[in-house]
Parts: sequence; structure tokens; C-alpha cells
Amino acid sequence: MTNNPTKTVIEFDDRTVRHFMVASIFWAIVAMLVGVVIATQLAFWQVNLNSPYLTFGRLRPLHTNAAIFAFVGNMMFAGIYYSLQRLVKARLASDFLSKLHFWGWQAIIVAAAITLPLGLTRGKEYAELIWPINIAVALIWVVFAINFFWTIARRNEPSLYVAIWFYIATIITVAMLYIVNHLSLPTSFTHSYPVFGGVQDALVEWWYGHNAVAFFLTTPILGIMYYYLPKAAGRPVYSYRLSIVHFWSLVFVYIWAGPHHLLNTALPSWLQSLGMIFSLMLWAPSWGGMLNGLLTLRGAWHQLRTDPVLKFFAAGVTFYGMATFEGPLLAIKSVNALSHYSDWTIGHVHSGTLGWNGFMAAGMFYWLAPRLWNRKLYSPSLANMHFWLGLVGILLYVAAMWVSGITQGLMLSATRESGTVLAYPNFLDAVTSTKSLMHIRALGGAMYLSGFIMLAWNIFKTAHGAEPVNGTIEVFVEPAHPARPMGLKRGFINAPVVYSMLYVLFAVGWAATSGIYSAFSFVGIFSISLALLIHKDVSKATWNQWYEQLLENSLPFTALTTLAVVIGGIVQIVPTIIVNKAECIEGVRQIPYTPLELAGRDIYVREGCYNCHSQMIRTLVGDVLRYGAYSKLGESIYDYPFQWGSKRTGPDLAREGGKYPSIWHFHHMRDPRQISPGSIMPNYPWLYTQKTEVDLLPHKIEVQRRLGVPFAEQTPEELTQCVTIQEQTIAADLKAAGAEIPPDREIVALISYLQKLGKSEKVNSTSAQAPTASK
Amino acid sequence: MNNPSEEKELIRPHSYDGIQEYDKRLPNWWLMTLWGAIAFAIGYWLYYQEFHFGHEPGLAVEIQMTENRERASAKSSVLTNDSLWTLSRDQKTVDAGKATFLANCASCHLPTLTGQIGPSLVDEYWLHGGTPLEVANTIEKGEIEKGMPTWGPVLGQQKITEVVAFIFSHHQRGEPIKQAPPWIPGQVMQTPVAGN
Repeated sequence: MTNNPTKTVIEFDDRTVRHFMVASIFWAIVAMLVGVVIATQLAFWQVNLNSPYLTFGRLRPLHTNAAIFAFVGNMMFAGIYYSLQRLVKARLASDFLSKLHFWGWQAIIVAAAITLPLGLTRGKEYAELIWPINIAVALIWVVFAINFFWTIARRNEPSLYVAIWFYIATIITVAMLYIVNHLSLPTSFTHSYPVFGGVQDALVEWWYGHNAVAFFLTTPILGIMYYYLPKAAGRPVYSYRLSIVHFWSLVFVYIWAGPHHLLNTALPSWLQSLGMIFSLMLWAPSWGGMLNGLLTLRGAWHQLRTDPVLKFFAAGVTFYGMATFEGPLLAIKSVNALSHYSDWTIGHVHSGTLGWNGFMAAGMFYWLAPRLWNRKLYSPSLANMHFWLGLVGILLYVAAMWVSGITQGLMLSATRESGTVLAYPNFLDAVTSTKSLMHIRALGGAMYLSGFIMLAWNIFKTAHGAEPVNGTIEVFVEPAHPARPMGLKRGFINAPVVYSMLYVLFAVGWAATSGIYSAFSFVGIFSISLALLIHKDVSKATWNQWYEQLLENSLPFTALTTLAVVIGGIVQIVPTIIVNKAECIEGVRQIPYTPLELAGRDIYVREGCYNCHSQMIRTLVGDVLRYGAYSKLGESIYDYPFQWGSKRTGPDLAREGGKYPSIWHFHHMRDPRQISPGSIMPNYPWLYTQKTEVDLLPHKIEVQRRLGVPFAEQTPEELTQCVTIQEQTIAADLKAAGAEIPPDREIVALISYLQKLGKSEKVNSTSAQAPTASK
Repeated sequence: MNNPSEEKELIRPHSYDGIQEYDKRLPNWWLMTLWGAIAFAIGYWLYYQEFHFGHEPGLAVEIQMTENRERASAKSSVLTNDSLWTLSRDQKTVDAGKATFLANCASCHLPTLTGQIGPSLVDEYWLHGGTPLEVANTIEKGEIEKGMPTWGPVLGQQKITEVVAFIFSHHQRGEPIKQAPPWIPGQVMQTPVAGN
């Protein structure tokens, strides 16, 4: 290699970018259409159409998965692949991997769109896809990672731009979260139980769920913002050091915030406190990103009047700022007591996905289309119209959800007679009071969808008949930086990485141990700081030099990012997993399900009941008055997956068992309005004709036993007999009450499960303690 | 700060695909937000998790509910069969009770009170005692095995009083009270009856 720059012409792989972009627009419309349908179902229950495949409980997972993984996923890949190639001045490493990534991802989406309406689900939010699809997702993600890091390895630009930091954090963290939360034991090709149960499952699920928002919907889009926004505005990024500070604080802090989805629940209080305080600390790091976006627009504000791209970006970043202010607010325990389980949370996520993700996507597509097809945008005025229609749509949606969420929160927790009686004992009062807001929400969503259809038309007309072009660039490849090739060993053994590792080691040692080890670790923290300062002084290095050295070496940078995102997970999750389960029960232990009840539970999961019903009575007066004693950890230890839920469109079911006679459920499941006038729950007529799946039960129970659930040991014959007896008992009970049903129908199994909910036994406090919970 | 020559100095020399970066100071208010949140977090953690000044959540709600019950019982009045019979002839009380009944009880006892999933409340047969006080007690405590929920914590004393008044507005003082045979939910129901 000479010391003179050599001139090279690079043709970028923009075909892959076009593919991902078109796919993203297509799936966006599908996801939003399903969204409008399920919003309409909440306003008019009849839209559930009495069909198993179209009920809210099955379509809502389709909507969320399509919006997150199909729409934003494809948009992210388009945005990353386009910017990556230009930022590192290199073509994507492998055309084969790019194609495999694209087609593999689309196949996964199609598989999801088929399986979810069929009721094939893992029963965990945003992680519903069944295990064979999980494996495909993990593999394709690895394909993406290889393609990405391989391209970086072949880069002609020594230093990594801030957008790439965010891409690296995305790839590493999503892989970690996805794999841990999807660990399952299969019972058949389409069904599995998660390896975690009860509180452990809850904790892992929301560690994943929250950080899916963080590292799938936020960090990649921030990276995209850092490339496309200054490009479109033609302005320099506001502050490099703000980029550094907010990137590292964001990736470190975000991962700890998951437990804020479980505030006031049975989750041990130290975890609740961690979730709340880290959410509050997340406010400034998030706003750092918003500031760097908005302040980059300084000097370009006049362009907003004419340029739809900048309009979308400015509004998108503003919505990001609004949502990341609202997030910490909702994570305050007392605010959460009102907002949780209500529509407020739904409004919050939509200001993120519609406002931040959706508008950043639109801005990026309008900017990319003319460059990918080498033709001016078909109609900027149509794009402007899309902007205003979309904006009004979001505002209607979010405002409706604020009003309805706060109404629900206030009504369901309101009390009379000095706080001993509920002011609105009938749950339906809150449902009927917010009904008109459901219409406004559906209208807002429909407006937003219409805007996106305009985008699709605009981009189709731009691309139609135009010649797709691949960007080429003449780059002057600079001679290799002398310090650049660090090698594997130097990649890990260099000042920033080693010091950070030692800091973490001692900090964990200090917090997790006691006595002499703790004191030793405490001294260690100070020694490291001293060593760091001396080292820096002797070597005459500056912070900036150390950091820029990192930027020219993707390996230590990636190692440090991994370290930053791993700590929070380890501190929060490991203690809860290794604690002896039998002791973590607060004096109450769930009575294991009978085989029939387990079959009923699998039906409950299949129908997606958790989308509208929680099974978690919080430590709040309103909850205890309405549903009974607050839930204890031991009451869900045998629940694989946990079904604590995140939204109460209907009432909590944690203590539903025995609350009503079986005949009540029998009539209610067939036509909820016969029992509860005004209910918006779908009818479930197919439960009265389909037979309960019992053939797989012995194997399912075997898997549950392996997970640690103390099912009695039974031969398959004994098990079948046990199922038959319980079925016949319930059917006889129903018959005496005037309803005839063959005992082998699914409704019987479901009733057996519903009547079991909340059944637990007291455990002698001497034989069981609750070390991680209350004193 | 907004002096263009000063901005030139702040801009970093490197450019990525034409994108340049300033290196401006972090805004003070932003730094205060960052450090303020961190300070609050440390304080909150010490308060609840290190020194345990606050109660554990479960204990806290139990204490609060005990206090609520004490305050409520200090305010409540003593009911008698006489006072309930009197209220059953008071139109305002009966109307209020009817509204509560239709919203909460009619799904099992029907709006006509003639019974479906739960027994009839207009005949002279009673399962758990037929005096107004006994009926109030049944409503408050429930009959869980028979499917009658515990309404005390849901409706409260005032609404239960009104519901009892509404039920007994269908009865006459001094009419016979007969012991009903054991109840099987839904026994009188021949055809599904619409719930409106």
C-alpha cells in the first residue's frame, strides 16, 4: 500500500435497498390495515365476525408483529444498508447474504401472517411467533450481522460515524434479547413452552419487550436520523460530543428499564425500584438524540415549508422527544398506578411507532426514492398532503387514547365510603364511558393509513418506468491508518475496554457480595480510577484520542457496546433465575393444574385472551377492592408462559376461579352480552364445536415436568381417565344448570381452567421464605 | 456562540459521505436534567431499598386499607329490619337500588327478579334467611359455592342497603318466609333469556 490515496470506483448494492424499501411500504400498509380493523373491533364488537381467525385476540399480535418486525424491520434494513455502504465507502460484503437476508425476512413475515390467525402462538407479547419461526429469525439476524460486520471489515473509511455506533448496538442487543426471551422446550412442531415461568418469565419478557422498543424501534432509527437528517438538511450535525454522551448513556441505561412494565405487581420491589429509576435516568439520554436531530435543523428551518422530507423528519424527532418524555413519566410508580393496563400506554406506544418510526420512515422513503430510481419525486404536494393527514391522524389517535386511558384509570380506581368501596363496581362502566373515543381512535388510525397509501402511490409513480440506478462513487481510498489494524488481541486488550471491564467487575463485586469481598471491590473501584489517571498522564493520551482509536476499530467498540448492554440484564435477571423457586412464593403456592386445566390454559393462550385480560392484582386499593387480595409471586410459579398481561380491556382474571358458576362462563363465552350488556368481547362459538386436543397432553405434561412443574406421575391411560372424569363433572354441572354440551368440547376445558384461576394453598412460613420479596 | 467564525472552529475536520459534525458544548439544562435524574435515582434507591424508610408495596396497601375501613366504620350507621322495611317504601332509595340491581344483579337474577342463574327474589322461598338484614348479609358476604359473589367490597354498605330496599319493595311486611330447597344455578331457566 502506497502513501498516496488511490482512486477506486465503487458500485453500491442499492438493489437490496430498493427491495427492503418496497417490502417495508407493503407491510406497513398491511400492519396499519390490521390495526384499523382491530381498532374498529373495539368500537364495534361485531367486526370480530364470529370467526376464530379474525378475533381481536389473534389479530392484535398480527398487528404488533407486522408493525414492528415487518414494517420497521424492513425500513431499518433499507436505511442501514443504504447509509452503511456510503459511510464506510464499501459495497455490501456479500450479494448472496443480502439476498438471503431479504428473502429470509419476507418468508418469516409470511409465516407469521399465516400462523398467528391460526392461533399458533407462544403467548408472550411481541414474542408470539412459534419456535420454528424463532429459529429462522435468529438465523436471518445472524446473516444480517455477518453481512454488516463483514462490510465494516472491508471499509475504505477508517473511522466509524455515529450512525454506525447505533447500528452496532442494535445488532448486538437484539440478538441477545431475542435469543434469551425465546428459549423454549417444544412439545410439537408448532407448540412449545418457554423455559421460564411465572415471575421469571415476566421479568425476561419485559426485559425483552421494553428493549425491543429500545433496540429495534429506537437505536436503528436514531442511526438513520444521524445519516439522513443532516443529508436532507445539508447541515452539519449539532454536536459530536453530545453524540458520544447520549449514545453511551442510552445503550447503558435503556436495558435496565424493563421492570417499569411490572410496577405495583408481585415483582420484587427492588426490581420495581430499579425499573423506575433507570427509566427516569433515560430521559436526558433520549433527549440528547432529539436535540442532536432538531438542532441540526438550525439554519434549515425555512426548507421545512417546501421540503416534505424535512417536515417528516422534524415532526418525527419531535414525536421522539414527546414519547421519551412521556415514557419516564409513565414509569413513575404513582403515575403508573393510574396509567398501567389502560389506553394511555397504547397511546404512548403509538406516538412512538406512528410519530417517530412512521414519520422517520416516510421522510427516509421520500428522500431515497429519487436517488434509487434517479427521477424526481412524482408529487411533492401529495407528500405534503400525506404529512398533514398523518399528523392529524396521530394527534386524533393519541389524544383519544389519553382521554380514554385517564378515564379508565380514574374510574377503575375511584372509591367511595372512605376508600372501602369501588365507585364504579361494574367494569363495563369504564368500557361504555370510553366507547366514543374508540371511534375517534379508529378514525385517526384510518387517516394515518390513508396517508401511507398516498406514499405508496407517490413512490410507485416515481419508480414506475424509471431506470433503477445503483449509486456509484469515486472514492479516494486513504492509505491505511497506521494504528488501524489492531488485531484480535489488541482489540480486547486496550485501555478503554480493559478499564471498563475492570470497573464493571468491581462494581458488580461491590453490589453483589458482602463483607471482605465487597470492601475489596470498593477499594478496587478507586484503584482503577487512580490507575486510569496515571496511565493517561504517563502515556500523554487524551480522552479524545482513546475514543477516536475506538472508532477506528470496530472490534473493541463492539465489545464495549456489548458490555454496556449486558450488565443491566445480568444484574436484574440472573438473581431471579438462580433463586430457589420453591422459596420465592410469599407464603402462597399455586396448586398445579390438572391435565384438563392445562389443556384449557393452552386454549386461553391460543385465543390471545392476555391481549385484553390481565392476571395480576396489583398492590393498589382499587385493584384489591375490585379483584381480591393482591397477587403473590407463588401464585403463578407454574405458569408457562406467565399471563400477567399488560392491558385491561376487560377485567383482571387472577382470581376468576369460583367467582361465578360454570354456567355463567358457558353463556358468557358464547355471547358475552347475554350476561354482561354492553360488553365488547367477541363471541367464541367454535369452542362449543371443537374437541379438546387431548392426544398431545401426555407429552405436554412431560415437558412441563421437565420444566419443574410438579405434575403427578400418570400413565397415559390414567391421564386420559383423569381428563374424562373432570370433563364429565363439569358437563354434568352445566347440564343441571340447563345447558347440554358434550364433555369433550373446548369450552369445558376452558371453563375448567377459568375456575382454577387463583386457586392456591398456603405454605407454612417456616418451610418457605420469600428472600427476594418483602421482609 | 452563533458567530459564524466561531462555528467554523468548532466543526470537526472529518466528513462522512459529506456529513460534517460540530463539536458544541452540551446544553446546561440538558446536563442538569441528566445529573438531576441520577441524583433522584440514588436518593430514591437509598430511601426505599437501602434504608427501607417506605413500606414494601404489599404491606403499604394493607395498612392503607385497614385505615380506610376504620374511617368508614366510624361513619357508618346501624341497620335494623325496621329501618330497611321503611326504606323499601321510600321511592328515591328504591330507584337507586333498582339501578344498582340492574347493573350488577340482573345478569343472574334477571331484571324481573324472577331468577335464572341465581334464584328468584320475588317468591316467599329464601335460602339464607328472608328478613331484610339476612338478605343484606347474604349480599355482603356472598355464597361462593353457589356462585353468589361477595358484594360487600364491591357495592359498599350504602348501595347494598338500597338494593335490599329495592328487593323488599316487591314484598309485604309479615308475609311468610319459607325455607327453599337447595339451589342449583339455572334450574328454572328453560330457554336463554336476553339480558336487556
